Amino acid sequence: MKTTVKRWLETGTVDIFLGYKITDGHPLPHGFVKQRLEELEGLIDSPQRYPLEKFAAHLLAAHPDLKIGMFARDCNQRAIHVLTLFNQLPAGQIKTIDLNCCPSQLKPHADCSYLQPPKPGPYKVQAGIDNTLAPAEVEAFDPDERLSRWMYEFEKCIKCYGCRNICPVCFCTDCSLAHDALVATGPLPPDVPIFHLVRAVHMAGRCVDCGLCEAVCPMNIPLRLLYRKVNQIVGELFEYETGACDDRPPLNMLGDKVTLTPKPLQSHQTIKPVNDAMHGSA
Amino acid sequence: MTVKRITFLQALLDFIGLGGRLHLAWISSAEAQKFVQVVADFTEHIRVLGPNPLKGLGLTTAGAQKCRSNGRTHEPAKEPVPAPAAQ
Repeated sequence: MKTTVKRWLETGTVDIFLGYKITDGHPLPHGFVKQRLEELEGLIDSPQRYPLEKFAAHLLAAHPDLKIGMFARDCNQRAIHVLTLFNQLPAGQIKTIDLNCCPSQLKPHADCSYLQPPKPGPYKVQAGIDNTLAPAEVEAFDPDERLSRWMYEFEKCIKCYGCRNICPVCFCTDCSLAHDALVATGPLPPDVPIFHLVRAVHMAGRCVDCGLCEAVCPMNIPLRLLYRKVNQIVGELFEYETGACDDRPPLNMLGDKVTLTPKPLQSHQTIKPVNDAMHGSA
Repeated sequence: MTVKRITFLQALLDFIGLGGRLHLAWISSAEAQKFVQVVADFTEHIRVLGPNPLKGLGLTTAGAQKCRSNGRTHEPAKEPVPAPAAQ
């Protein structure tokens, strides 16, 4: 690994390599360059994860000709793909060294900081939403219970913007979550559930399910679960698989023809018997 | 694009527990009858669902209370600017 990076830097294959290095006792992202090859002794592939591709996008915005190498797990690869689709990364200017990712039968060894989400406490299980649930398990609750459980989670929000800042595919220069006219400044929690739903809508067709948002959330809000559902909806409605498709996401392009029709109001099941009863009594 | 977004949002709101409260229809300015029909139907539909559950949920934190009573016009308290030190 170190020799590969060294060769890349020496031959000019890449101008800067984004890896990890122990800094003040913490494995932090670090840019390794040709001028300081001695630093390569400290290069590590830590289980900690950072959105290196986001740093790459920032670097490339300032220096468009830079050739960048970086470590990439599967989530990083998906994020690079999505960022390329959104024209945030020029295709082919990033070389990656693949790291181990989620364990499987073929690949039992894995390095990832998010293999085991923290176990929820009893109150969270009772009143909130267990981060380890699947979207279908959340749907098993009644709508009213679902709402109160989600609101319990959303109300914990301290509006630290950690989810947005760590997100590898959040790249807007003008964030609607930081806009005074859209989200009131000052009070906590922020306007719930709008604050979280706005972010969820923006994640449609974009979220690569890396789980960094949930991993950094100081209040342990099950954001990954929410965005999983978001992408599940996108998959069902538009047959678009985020991170795997080569087209731009459905909500970001107009398309040639309309394939969806507005839901007819009468098809909703709860209204039918009431209407019939009213017509009957009239 | 609108129908895509709204269909997506309907599914998302349903997941959160606020399903059935969003409706999309295209009505031309010449279609008064249709407008009346859609609005009447949707009003009835909403009445069946009951009042907005977010109102009755009782957001506990002080910030939320403030947020609701102020609407969106929260302004930070203006502190008097300390006069610049005399020379």
